[in-house]
Amino acid sequence: MKYNRTELGDNIGFSAIIDEKFKTNSLLIRFITGLDSKNAADNAVGMGILTNSSSRYKTLAQLNEKLSSLYGASLSSGARKRGDVQVLHVSSSWINNKYAIDGEDITSEMLGIICGCIFSPNASEGSFDNESFRIVQKELMDKIEAEINNKRGYALSRAAEFAFSGEPAENSCYGTKETAGKVTAQSSYQAYKNILENAQVEIFYVAPEDNSDVEKRLKKEFSAISRSHSSVKFCAPSKIKEEALRISEEFDVRQSKMVLVFKTESDDCHAIRLLSTIFGETPVSKLFMNVREKMSLCYYCASRVLFAKGSMSVDCGVERDNIEKAEKEILHQLDEIRSGNFSDEELSSALMSIDNTLTAVGDTPSSYSSWYFERFCENNIVTPEQQFEAYKAVTRERIINAAKSLTLDTVYLMLNKEVQN
Amino acid sequence: MEKNILTSSRTGDKCIHVKHSSGLDVYICEMKGFSSVEALFGTKYGSINTRFRTSGDADYTEVPEGIAHFLEHKLFENEDCDVFELYAKTGANANAFTSFDKTCYLFSCSKNYQDSLKILLDFVQKPYFTKESVNKEQGIIGQEIQMTNDNPEWRVFFNLLRCLYHNHPVKIDIAGTIESIAQIDADLLYKCYNTFYNLNNMVLAIAGNISTDEVLEICDQCLKPCEDKGLESVFPDEPSEIVQPEIRETQPVGTPIFNIGYKCAPCSGRERLKKSMAASVAAGIITDASSDMYQRLLNSGIINSTFGAEVFCGDGYFSVIFSGESAAPEKVRDALAEEMEKIIKGGLEEKDFQRIKKSTYGILIRELNNVESVANLMINAHMDGVKPYDAIEILSDLTSSDCTSFIRDELSADKLAMSVVEGAVQ
Repeated sequence: MKYNRTELGDNIGFSAIIDEKFKTNSLLIRFITGLDSKNAADNAVGMGILTNSSSRYKTLAQLNEKLSSLYGASLSSGARKRGDVQVLHVSSSWINNKYAIDGEDITSEMLGIICGCIFSPNASEGSFDNESFRIVQKELMDKIEAEINNKRGYALSRAAEFAFSGEPAENSCYGTKETAGKVTAQSSYQAYKNILENAQVEIFYVAPEDNSDVEKRLKKEFSAISRSHSSVKFCAPSKIKEEALRISEEFDVRQSKMVLVFKTESDDCHAIRLLSTIFGETPVSKLFMNVREKMSLCYYCASRVLFAKGSMSVDCGVERDNIEKAEKEILHQLDEIRSGNFSDEELSSALMSIDNTLTAVGDTPSSYSSWYFERFCENNIVTPEQQFEAYKAVTRERIINAAKSLTLDTVYLMLNKEVQN
Repeated sequence: MEKNILTSSRTGDKCIHVKHSSGLDVYICEMKGFSSVEALFGTKYGSINTRFRTSGDADYTEVPEGIAHFLEHKLFENEDCDVFELYAKTGANANAFTSFDKTCYLFSCSKNYQDSLKILLDFVQKPYFTKESVNKEQGIIGQEIQMTNDNPEWRVFFNLLRCLYHNHPVKIDIAGTIESIAQIDADLLYKCYNTFYNLNNMVLAIAGNISTDEVLEICDQCLKPCEDKGLESVFPDEPSEIVQPEIRETQPVGTPIFNIGYKCAPCSGRERLKKSMAASVAAGIITDASSDMYQRLLNSGIINSTFGAEVFCGDGYFSVIFSGESAAPEKVRDALAEEMEKIIKGGLEEKDFQRIKKSTYGILIRELNNVESVANLMINAHMDGVKPYDAIEILSDLTSSDCTSFIRDELSADKLAMSVVEGAVQ
């Protein structure tokens, strides 16, 4: 594998990851900007239109027809939240030229299509094409409404809203139904222009062989844009509330959900990650072995860390009558770690689990681009092997201190209505 | 033991199949350059196998719904420890799943695969059930059932199956119900285990950073020879007609979600693979974003980009299911019925067929691009009675008239049912 990152211009990084084992080529272009409720929906619509049509392929039908003729090449765009930051992307993947039955140069064709979509969109006179706009806006509104379909994800989103209240991370990366409804073909075009000119850009090209045309073409396209320098803050620890906030909402569901959000001022990210692994990230973690296996309270009860906000959350699905019991046990298990009640075996198994995950980085194109993007956000470009050395250096004392640094900040409950009466 | 090398003439990919002396079928794919390993140890035993007997049984045994899934949970408990504790010593990420027609135990890892493979082969061959441990599991699975009951995609799918199938157990929920799992006890679990977890009914698929010889050596050490007991799973007669044309349920969802399914004639082995390829390409043409119907429905706001189709088939069932979100799912259903009529009269456009065939080829190539999907490809192909690279070959021989014939023969309006989950956000 060869990894090389170059700068194509001001705040534009291009990472080429060449690994001959892959059968596909992938190009992922990330636009990074501060998450703001005022323009989150405009940005999301603007990004969505880019892969719906272009000045050459005027409709989704035309664009799709071309993509499917290129052996079902994928081209999509989207938005996600990373702490206080909105990460927008255009992503594409296609089979390598050597698998083309009719000998087509798929890579060259795809490069042309992707650049056309991003730099020559279906727009005129300061506005996106109205038909494309209408479809993408409806798509976004449907997506916002459909968040409730996934109850676990919805509970986690609601918990984040309350935990990070008053901070950019309280917002959805899609905006709200109201703000999405107010987006226009003009405002989303303005948002797109703004992103192209001001957002930080990180590009990842993962392929089995080098192709300098990709870098050259993107450099040429970006050089035609007047760019200004702006930077985003990837890590912004959230303020810890003086007293834990407790919020409950009732829904017409069969199973209640509980989310506990803890916050920390510690910057010992390796110790916190190890702590979370011991606490609730594996089937031998304290939460799995006790809350699920010993007490049979939940099917899932797991922890996860959000370094960008200095927080760790625990979520579970549980009967309403058992909520108190489950919360008590979750807090008790965290206290156990605070008191140093975890074995050397638990620590070594957490390390081994992390080692296995890190060693597997590079087995899919997406794991490569995620790895190097995350390291870029942390301003610490290291290999998985180097990262593992940092985990190995974590002592028991650091884990205990990390656990002690966590304060319960927010408890969110999605309650089952039926049991109430 | 003979090593059969299975090769894809199109891509050059290859894997090895060995019929192990214990009775187990073993598939191995060494993948150069990859760091990780994915191993699946599976039995042809899923939620649909509710009635069965072996050559030694006079009568058929009927078991409660959800028992295959319950057994999967319980196998993780050894006599002396929890199996996850063993995996914790190797760092592997272990899991299991039960589907309609199989139960698979799996691990993925990038180090110490040999130790993890020994754990996998060992624990699946060592059942240990007690009254207490069965009772304990009922609480956990009860919560899993409640979780899936709150999942509208799950509900809309099973409601559709209940509209399509009168008797076939494919219509029952994989995990069963709170009531059905209450009937499960240790004796029943042993009965099912001894019937279905016979190595002659099982398969191991392993792919990634491995050595074939090492894998076979571990198989020799860990597998206990099994006598083939002539297992016979039977399914009730299933009429070709559907049960009811429509079902609706209310749940907190955004835009209503729908599944529209056509009940088709079941088949097996290579014939099923060929039929499912024809069905998949035909459905791909109909739901393609370039098609007239898709454009018409999208532009009038009736569908969004979630609209798609899948072929759902197995022993005794075969259906094509169109799914998505719509405020007017009945309009989608009517448009689909009209589209089928149009294709039956005029056939498919050759250029559309060729385009979607190419696109499907691209999907099959991508499947060979990672360790997990290759291991799954090998185990699924074996369970379906075909070889791992058969799909690419069958696709290359597929013609547009195969797809038109499939639509004409199978996708008629009287075999169509629609399931909708709708409701307002609270």
